Amino acid sequence: MFSPWILSLQLILFPLFWRGIYTTETNPSLALTVPVTTVFKSAVLKGDSLVEKVEILKPIDLELACTWTGNPNKLPNITGYWRKDGSEITNSRLTVQLENEQYNLKRVFRITGDTLGNYSCIFSDTDEAKIDFNVAAPEMDDKKDKPIVAYVGDSVAMACKTKLPPNTWLWYRANGTEQELINATTDPLRYKISVDGNTTKLTVMNLTEEDSGVYVCSAIYNIKASVSRVEVRVITFMEPLKPFIAIVAEVIILVLLILLYERWSSQRSSHSPTENGVHAEPTHKLTREGNNGMDENTTTRQRKI
Amino acid sequence: MPPAATTNLGYTPPDGGWGWAVVFGAFISIGFSYAFPKSLTIYFKEIQMYFSVSYSEIAWVSSIMLASMYAGGPVSSILVNRYGCRTVVIIGGLMVGASMVAASFGTTIIHLYLLVGVIGGFGLSFNLQPSLTIIGKYFQVKRPMANGLAMAGSPVFLSTLAPLNQFLFDNFGWRGAFMILGAIVMNCCVAGALMRPVNMKTVQKHPVTASKGTTAKKSGSTENSANPEAGDLITETEQKQKIGGCADKLMDLSLFKHRGFIIYLIGNVVMFFGFFAPVVFLPSYAKGIGIDNYQAAFLLSIFAFVDMFARPGTGLIANTKWIRPRIQYFFSFSVAYNGVCHLLCPFLAVYLGYTGLVVYAVFFGVAFGMVCALLFEVLMDLVGAQRFSSAVGLVTILECGPVLLGPPISGFLVDVFDDYKYMYWACGAMMLAPGIFLFIMNYFNYKQLDQECLHPKRRERLGTSWECHPEALST
Repeated sequence: MFSPWILSLQLILFPLFWRGIYTTETNPSLALTVPVTTVFKSAVLKGDSLVEKVEILKPIDLELACTWTGNPNKLPNITGYWRKDGSEITNSRLTVQLENEQYNLKRVFRITGDTLGNYSCIFSDTDEAKIDFNVAAPEMDDKKDKPIVAYVGDSVAMACKTKLPPNTWLWYRANGTEQELINATTDPLRYKISVDGNTTKLTVMNLTEEDSGVYVCSAIYNIKASVSRVEVRVITFMEPLKPFIAIVAEVIILVLLILLYERWSSQRSSHSPTENGVHAEPTHKLTREGNNGMDENTTTRQRKI
Repeated sequence: MPPAATTNLGYTPPDGGWGWAVVFGAFISIGFSYAFPKSLTIYFKEIQMYFSVSYSEIAWVSSIMLASMYAGGPVSSILVNRYGCRTVVIIGGLMVGASMVAASFGTTIIHLYLLVGVIGGFGLSFNLQPSLTIIGKYFQVKRPMANGLAMAGSPVFLSTLAPLNQFLFDNFGWRGAFMILGAIVMNCCVAGALMRPVNMKTVQKHPVTASKGTTAKKSGSTENSANPEAGDLITETEQKQKIGGCADKLMDLSLFKHRGFIIYLIGNVVMFFGFFAPVVFLPSYAKGIGIDNYQAAFLLSIFAFVDMFARPGTGLIANTKWIRPRIQYFFSFSVAYNGVCHLLCPFLAVYLGYTGLVVYAVFFGVAFGMVCALLFEVLMDLVGAQRFSSAVGLVTILECGPVLLGPPISGFLVDVFDDYKYMYWACGAMMLAPGIFLFIMNYFNYKQLDQECLHPKRRERLGTSWECHPEALST
């Protein structure tokens, strides 16, 4: 009864039906299931504790693997668990077996901007041995803890540097708890921002005393922004001028004292009779010479042939 | 009782009294001269960022300053010969001070090159030469001791200027710090004020030669009032030849025919290639073998501390009656000892780690101090205090090359071999070879000089300025 027509229709329909089963509607909210790269980080602990830094640029799956060489007891089974920021992660307790004289613990974490923090794997024996992983956005190099001093009417340059280049750099002016974005394009006479891969430089020109304060550079990564603060202090030229004048005055006073002492001691020795038999004409020299020392004190050794 | 001619100064130096104040003045001047260029490196990072230049461009400032300081030697010698020590030191102090103050208002890196580098460097050379020269005028018997004490100024000032510069930088930024440093450097003028010209009333003169003068005036004065007969008859040229505080012939190029001077020159020029590099690279070497920053910096502090005491100590030893007559051997020994230290350094570092480097720093500190303390003393010993001013000018300008090229060449060696130990071995060889050379050549020189002493006429004909009967000179 199955005519060739129906058979061919079936042949056409069947693949379509087949395809239909395996077609799922892509739900936009499931875009996160786009494969995320997995980063592997492992550490070997020989003592009691170890701290490792993990720098993350964008949301990833992070597999942390801990290996512990164990203590002299070397129990065949110990408990291992994970902590995040000090508090234990639920359902993370496992029994860890001793393999090749080592204990191994592994776990995968989904790292996003909100889940950055301190992850620790703990091997619980009689004591606890742990490895801390500080999972964070890249930190800035060269922390500046002292303020930069600059002068009114002058300019000041400050730089921030990271190991890995961020997507963008932003500079802010901090006013108490608020931050105000610095826009170099709207104010080119005052601000200049230059970016060179993993370094950025902010130049503030025509400084006034109100420009003193904290400047914040922000390295924007996919995962989070990394910030660093720099304090700028603007002073006038009067400030170094005071010690300068004080020291110059000290120099002048000392020079005058020394030269006066010289003149006084030579006058004194010229008034007293000299033992030297070669010649004696101190007074002439005194009047002629400007500020050159004349006679040696009578403490000099006399030698006679 | 040694005749006056043996000192070849024409007079007997005081060897004390105001001389110690002069040593203190020289201490200050020498301290600033050597320590100032090195201590400016603290400001480089900030200035580099301010002017948007690379590190090598800013490092030129220090190099130009050091080069000017050495190249200014002959100029300084000529000025000292013409105007006397005190004037030149005061001018030098004013030059450096003014240049630093002007630099604090600078707007480009070129300003810094010219002001701090060239003018500042020349000002420092006007401090260095006269300080060394005037010690020779004031001391004969205790001269090594005086030299050692004066040269100790360098490590003392370096240790003081480093934290001071940091303090100034933190509080005033680089501009304010330069201005205040300009004022501080003007204390060289105080040092200059202390450098009173020697009074030679106490001296025995050849009564015949009126041109030599019988007064203690510097040739800066245009009148020779003390000798009434010669008063108006003395011409300008004769005054230049007067034996004054520091006044001598304008520039004594006949030194190049002086046997001892040539030996000293050859030995020193080779030695300076490997002299400063080990100090410069010591912290990097330490960090390279895994020592942290603070401990590496501490090595330099140990080195500077030992150096501070090694210099006067060496002066004291060199003054003893056993060493003084053969002081050239002592100098050759100290140069060779430096070389041995550097050759052993890699072994100490590898087998003893940080302790090894500490031991090296101590021994090297002693060695460095010994060489520095004796460096100018032996030159004075060879050419005599009379010609020392010209000699030191010629020596510094010829040493300019090795001093500047030494660290970069060593850096090149480090880059090529990627290991510091070859550089240390090279420096060790560069110092051991001149040490041995100086030892051998001075042996011959001493023999020749002893022969010449026996024939005073021959000595005068040859024009050597050796002081015979040296045993009689030391206490």
